[in-house]
This record gives sequence, structure tokens and C-alpha cells, in this order.
Amino acid sequence: MSSRTSRRSLLTALGAAAVGISFGAAGCSKPAGDGVSASGEEPKLNFYNWDTYIGDTTLSDFKAASGIDVNMSLFASNDELFAKLKAGNPGFDVIVPSNDYVPRMSEAGLLMPLDHAKIPNFKNVNAEFLDPPYDPGRKFSMPYTWLALGLGYRKSKMKGIVPDSWKYVFESDMFRKRITILGDSADLIRLAGKYLGYSINNIPDEGLVKIEAMLMKLVRSGNLLKFTGDEGDTLLANGDADLVIEYNGDVAQKATEDPDLDFLIPKEGSELTSDTLCIPTGAPRPDNAHKFINYILDGKAGAEISKTILFPTPNDAAKALMPDDYRNNHIIFPPADLLAKSEYAQFPGADRLQKYEEMATRIKAAGVGG
Amino acid sequence: MEQSWRQAKSIFMTLISAPLFWLVAFFIIPMGIVWLYSFGENSGLIDIAFTGTWSNYAHAFDPLYLGIFAKSIGVAVVTTFFCLVLGFPVAMAITFAPDKAKSWLLLLIMLPFWTNLLVRTYALIAVLRTNGYVNMTYQFLWERTSGLMTLLGMQPLGDFHPAILLYNNFAVVFGLVFVNLPFMVLPLYSTLDRMDRSLLEASLDLGAGHIRTVWNVMVPLAGPGIVSGILITFIPSLGAYLTPDLLGGPDSQMIANVIESQFKRANNWPFGAALSFILVYMTFIGVALQGVIESRNKRRQA
Amino acid sequence: MTEAIARPRKLPPAPLEYLRRWPIRLSVGAVLVFLYAPLITLMIFSFNDSKANVVWRGFTLKYYIKALHNDSLIQAFSNSMVIAFFSTVLSLILGAMAAIVLWRFRFPGKTVFDGALAIPIVVPEICMGVGMLVFFAKVLPWPQEMPWPLNLGNIIIAHVSFSFPFVAVVVRARLASFNREMEEAAKDLGASEFRALMDVVIPHIQPSLIAGALLAFTLSLDDFVITFFTAGPDTITFPVKVYSMVRFSVTPEVNAASTILIVVTVLLTFLALKFQGSQALTAGHGADDK
Repeated sequence: MSSRTSRRSLLTALGAAAVGISFGAAGCSKPAGDGVSASGEEPKLNFYNWDTYIGDTTLSDFKAASGIDVNMSLFASNDELFAKLKAGNPGFDVIVPSNDYVPRMSEAGLLMPLDHAKIPNFKNVNAEFLDPPYDPGRKFSMPYTWLALGLGYRKSKMKGIVPDSWKYVFESDMFRKRITILGDSADLIRLAGKYLGYSINNIPDEGLVKIEAMLMKLVRSGNLLKFTGDEGDTLLANGDADLVIEYNGDVAQKATEDPDLDFLIPKEGSELTSDTLCIPTGAPRPDNAHKFINYILDGKAGAEISKTILFPTPNDAAKALMPDDYRNNHIIFPPADLLAKSEYAQFPGADRLQKYEEMATRIKAAGVGG
Repeated sequence: MEQSWRQAKSIFMTLISAPLFWLVAFFIIPMGIVWLYSFGENSGLIDIAFTGTWSNYAHAFDPLYLGIFAKSIGVAVVTTFFCLVLGFPVAMAITFAPDKAKSWLLLLIMLPFWTNLLVRTYALIAVLRTNGYVNMTYQFLWERTSGLMTLLGMQPLGDFHPAILLYNNFAVVFGLVFVNLPFMVLPLYSTLDRMDRSLLEASLDLGAGHIRTVWNVMVPLAGPGIVSGILITFIPSLGAYLTPDLLGGPDSQMIANVIESQFKRANNWPFGAALSFILVYMTFIGVALQGVIESRNKRRQA
Repeated sequence: MTEAIARPRKLPPAPLEYLRRWPIRLSVGAVLVFLYAPLITLMIFSFNDSKANVVWRGFTLKYYIKALHNDSLIQAFSNSMVIAFFSTVLSLILGAMAAIVLWRFRFPGKTVFDGALAIPIVVPEICMGVGMLVFFAKVLPWPQEMPWPLNLGNIIIAHVSFSFPFVAVVVRARLASFNREMEEAAKDLGASEFRALMDVVIPHIQPSLIAGALLAFTLSLDDFVITFFTAGPDTITFPVKVYSMVRFSVTPEVNAASTILIVVTVLLTFLALKFQGSQALTAGHGADDK
């Protein structure tokens, strides 16, 4: 029957078109993963990383140096990473958690201890990062970058002042609807706590009450444009917002194209983070993983990465190879006195995190009926 | 009309085996696990123990979360309303169009639906933001009008303030309507198309104007289609995640965003599971309502 | 009772020719503008020579070149296409089977089956996503180093699970208008149950199979939440990739990638219609089906 054959031919045609397009495309780009390296692992690596967080040529340089093909996938937050690994490692070899997630993941058995013998470039790491409180002796992680949270702003729109305090985002009417703050519950509460004078890892209960009241007032006042994840710098750059809470490297990247943008750490101090390289438990190619981590810690490779992502590096050898406008960039390397006032976050424990999350939900719901 | 399965056992078995197996293995079982989680608790850092507790549901009935449910329902209702109001004339137009135009029109309306949700929402950002196309046009018109008024000797308009169209509830509703409108048109068109046109012609012949005909004759006849359309629009709007996430403002969070944060940030899967299942129960109620309305309609027609 | 009338344009619109009346024309036009303007501007701005992509600075193809050289983007795209293809085929088969069974037979547990079939349509995506994640981790671990495209299997399974009920709905709607007497006639003429099914029922539901296939294809291509939870390192799909691009680095490259996707979807739809004739969408509705 003609209608039956035309239906079949239609489905075939549809299918052929789809498969043809995809096989053609995939054929061009499928990495060749044959052969086995000396350690018995195939020359491949699954790297789970943040977006725009690797040098332009790092992966191809690594392949040229070692023959290992790196397949990089992206995640957008530590929670995504944690949720993905919590149910069982789907095949990642190297991951990039932030410092406060390292103890959380290692306690949950999700991280493999590192074999320092396989990472000789460890010697390049800056002394401050050799034995941090979140990973004594660097058992599970190697430092990749460090970051500072602070205020990104557009100089010409600041009405003549320099916004050197958190009060300009939390408690001021000066920049109505041109402010964005972080939506992440823990970071938001920690920064608000810093503004009110508390240490970020030790906010007492009455502090939490004050923070919640202040932030609810902020949401109700209508001064806030948005709670952001990572897009604060985009909103700053395209003119939707003039004062944003952001990471220094993100603003540094945008500032290279738009000199009207600047960044500072407020005078009350801020939160520091360090993103680290780890090997998750159950990684199929731990040997390749160690090789990759060692490669990144190399001075030259590290410098290539920093050139692209413009985040501060904990790698002394890399820093030495960077041009002056990187080393002296006050956005990338904020002044020492403000850094001294800033702290690294610790994992506050699951219960406390849930408490923060509920606070954040209440704050975000404050506009309702308010 | 139906026959008992015993009359054609082999065909019945062949036909039902695959869908049934798939449904059970790859849907019921996973959802069952999540349902069990809603009665469980976090034990340790990554495991979940099934303890048969109701605490998660109790927590979900906290005013904070009830308020968010209410807000999500409100947003969904407004979205559905606009989809209905905008979609009905379009469905009418397609129904009564000449055949050739019909399929083209239908295609035109459905085509955006086939593009990726993310792409469409992202496109809206560029339209609605402070330096977006709407504001640019608005600014253009404002300045031209101001210039014109100065020319005519009148006071010029004041400084241009861009309209704040993004990162607020307006943007969320706008985005949801934008995304769901094609969903509304199809069932409306389906029902209108099967409608007996002689009734409309009779109404017009008897002297009722078009508006009255539409309101008193066409709309009631399109009843089942309207109900389907409402359901197909309301449910996705209620459970929307991407649109409030990308387009919403500080106070625009909807229930799906809260659920997502429970599964991610708060790492509280049991609570997130409880919240999602409340959403599921609510939608069951909606579907049941539709079923009741439909059977009442059928009885009326019989 | 309606006549197909070919009128010369000069006559005023007939009573029911709503499309020719200006209020309707205006509202349809407005809706079309509303639906298309953002997409068209998105596509135009994919040619914009400006990294920040706020103001038009000049025409360039470089972001297309960048997108086409973006290996992870291409891989994501081809993953999405392959997943959508297999998901569509499986959903079509399962959905049609389910629809026929529900339409044709009475059996114990029918309401339950009917209701269960509706749940995937109704359930919040994130709930299903988590369920799939846990299922593929604890109940049915999907072997990891399978060759492409088998490693996409778990995503395909997840997509089929939420797609085939939609197909079933579409096919059932069409089956409702099927006249059983035709099937009886076939059987009276000596056809077996099976033949009667294949040669009489299937051709009748053909338009709904097309519609169902397109629906399943779109649902799969479009999906973000469920795919995100089931995807692994080698199996990133297009929406997931675009989402991370939108969150982090909004350049015309995102527009270029989106435009490519839009064009591909439109092309495939046109292919489908061309093979079927434009009667596909309207066939089976209204008066022409006596």
C-alpha cells in the first residue's frame, strides 16, 4: 500500500537525515582513542571542569606532550559536581571542586588520595598553599587557582564614590535596581556576615537573625536586580547592572575589554576560595590523572592557563612567567591588607548548610506579599 | 466498541508487553525510588535511609513553602489566562482558513515550539534587558517624540528611563507565555475543527453578532479543547524551572527552583522528593478535575 | 454543510471566514510577531562582530567558524541528534502499541495502565531526572566505556520514558475517530486480526504517527533537566552545553550554535512534510474524514 511505504520511507528519510548529519559531524571530531599507554591505561582522560577555566591550548599541549586525549565536560557549581558523584562516579578522572567541598567529598569517600610521588611539580606551589586547613598535607587535592569574592563595578556609574564597603550592596539605596548579589545561600550569608563583622565560619545564631533581617529588607526594598550564579560579570559588562558581587578573575576578564570596569575587596574583608584538582574515587585512569595534574602544575602550562582565565594562581613558577600587567593587576592580586582580612570558607556541616538554604529560600520569598 | 482482551489474546499480549515493561522498568521503578526517598532521611553524607518518616511532608507544609506553591500556582494561572486569550483567536483563524493556508498557519505557530526551550528563553533576554531591543526601540521613539515636541514648541519629554522588563515577575510570565502559547493553540484548533459549523451559521442567521456568536456558541462548544489546552499549559508552567531561573528577579523563585536547590545545594534529597511529589499530587488533582468535567460534558451531550 | 467556495477577493468576507477579518488578522499577526521576533533577532545577531553582543557592530561569520570548530559543541550536537533519533523510533513503536491496546481492549487494570501512562506527562522533570540518576547508578549501572553511540543508551532510555506517553496521546486522539466497521469489514473479507490491524488501522493513524514522531523528536532534542542528570562525561548533549555557555560566556557563538539548531529542526520538519504532503497536519480533522 502506497501510504504504508511512504510512511516507512518517511521515517527512513528522517532517520537517515538525522543520523547522517550526526555521523558526519561526529566523524570529524571523534577523538581517536586507540592504543594503550605504558601504564596499561588507554591514553584518554575525562576532565570535569568549570566553564572557561582552562587555557586555550592547554589540552592540546598536554596531548602533544603525553599522547593523552583529554575530554573536558563542564559543570556550573560545586553542588552539581557533588550531586553527580554522589550516586557513583560516571567515569571522571580529574575534577575541580572548590576548597570547602574537598573535606565534604573526602569524608564521603568520594576522593582518591593523591600519590605525591607522581606529582613532582608540587614543588612549584606557593608556600601558603602547601598545607591548608581544608586539606592538611594536600592529601586529596592540588591547588589550581585561588579566587576572591568582591565588588565589581562600573566606574562611570558610581556617582563619584568608590564602593569600598559591602554596605553599598546590602544596605544602600544609591544604586536602585542596578545591584546584583550572589544567589548561593552559603556564600551570600557568609559575605553578609563579614559585613556585619563576623568571621565567616563562625556566625553565631543572633548573627544569622540579623543577616536574615537585613537581606529581607534588601529584597523588599526593590534595590536588587537579581540573584546571580555566575552571570554577575555578564550583567555588569552589558550594562544591566552597575554594582555586582563577583569573583575577581571574572571581572578581570571583562575589564580587559572594558576599562570602565573595576573590582575591589570591600574594607570589611571578604571570602576567599581555592579551586583544586582532585581525582574522584573510581576514576578509570588514575595514572593519567596524576600525569595531567602534574602537567597543570608545571610553570609554563600554568602560565598559559592564567593568561586565558586571568584568575590568581597559587603556582609560583607560573606566576614568575606571567607578564607584569598580570602580576601587578590589582584586580587579580588584591592588596595584601584586604586579603589579610579575608577568609577561606569551611564546610559548615550538612545541617548548617540546610539551615542556610532555608534562610535563603525565606529571603528570596520575601518579596512575596512584602 | 472495545473488545475484551480474551478475544484476541496474542495480539493483546504482543501489544501490551513492550509498553508495560518499559513503563514499569524505566519509569515506575525510578519514580518509586524517589517516592521512597520522600519518606527517608539523610544518613551520613551521601546515603539515604528509608525510615518511613512523615517529617519531610510536614516540613513542606511550612508557610514558607506553601507560599511558594501559591505563588507558582498564581504565575501558572496568569500564564494560562494569557495563553488562552491570545491563543483562541489564532485557533479560530486557523480553523476557518482555506485548507492551504491552514497547514501553513499551523506550521508557523508550531515551529517555535520545536526550537529548543533554552534558545527561546535566551532570545528573550536579549529582547527584554535594559539595553535590549524593546528598550532600544522605546528609547528611539522617546527621543524622536521629544525632539518633535521641542520642534513644535512644547516642553520636551524628560530623561529617558529604560523600562525594567527583565529579572522580574513580568519577565517570567512573558517568558512562560512565549514558551507555552503553541501548546494552547493545538488542542483548541483540534476541537474547533471538529465543531459543527452549521450551529455557528444558524446563530449568525438568527441575528446574533459575531462577538455574541463566538462567546455564546463557539466557546462553549470548544469546551473540551479549552480544558485540554488549559491543562497542557498550566502544568508545565507550574513546574517551570529554566524560565524563572534565567528570566526571574530576586523574588521570582517558583517551586521547581526550590526543589532543584534541595537536590543540589541543600543536598536534602528526601525533602526535595517530598516537594516534588506534592507537585505531582497537585497535578493529579488537576487531571482528575479535567476527567470529571469531561465526563459531565459527555453525560450532558448524551 | 459548509461549502468549499472559491471567492474572488473583492467580495466581503463570508460569515465564517474569520481569517479575512481584520481584528483576527491583527491578533494573528501580533502573535506571530511575538513568537518570531526574538528568534529572528537571535539569528541575526549571530552574525554580529562584537564579543559582548549588545550593539550591532558589523557582519561576520567568525562565530560560526568558532562554533563549527568547537569540538565539544559538535560532539554535543551529534549526541543530541542521535539520541533524538533513537528515542523517536522507540517512542513511536511503544506509543502506538500502547494507544492501540488502550483503544481496542478491555482488560483488568486498564484504568491503572491508562493513569500510569499519563504520569510521565505530568510529573516534574526534576523529579524524573533524579529518579533516572539513581536508577542508573544503583539499579542498572550503565557500563561506562561503551563505544559510541551505545554509551548514550541510558539517556535514550530516559528520553523514551517520557516521550512515548506523548505519542500515545496523539495516536489515541486519532484512533478515536476510527470507524471500527472498516476493520470489521476487513475481517469479514477474511483478513486475520493481525492483518486487519496492520492494513486498516495503521494507515488510518499514519498522520498521528508523523505528528507523534515530530513530537518525540522535539521533546528529546529539547530536553535539559532529565538529560543533565543522566549524562556522563562522554555524553553531553546540546541543551546542556548551551546552558553552560549561556550561564558563563554569552557571545555570538551561542547565537550561532542556536541558529544552527533552529535551522536543522526546521529542515527536518520540512522534510517530513514534503514526504507526507501538506495534508498531514490537517488530515483526519473535521469534515474530510467520512
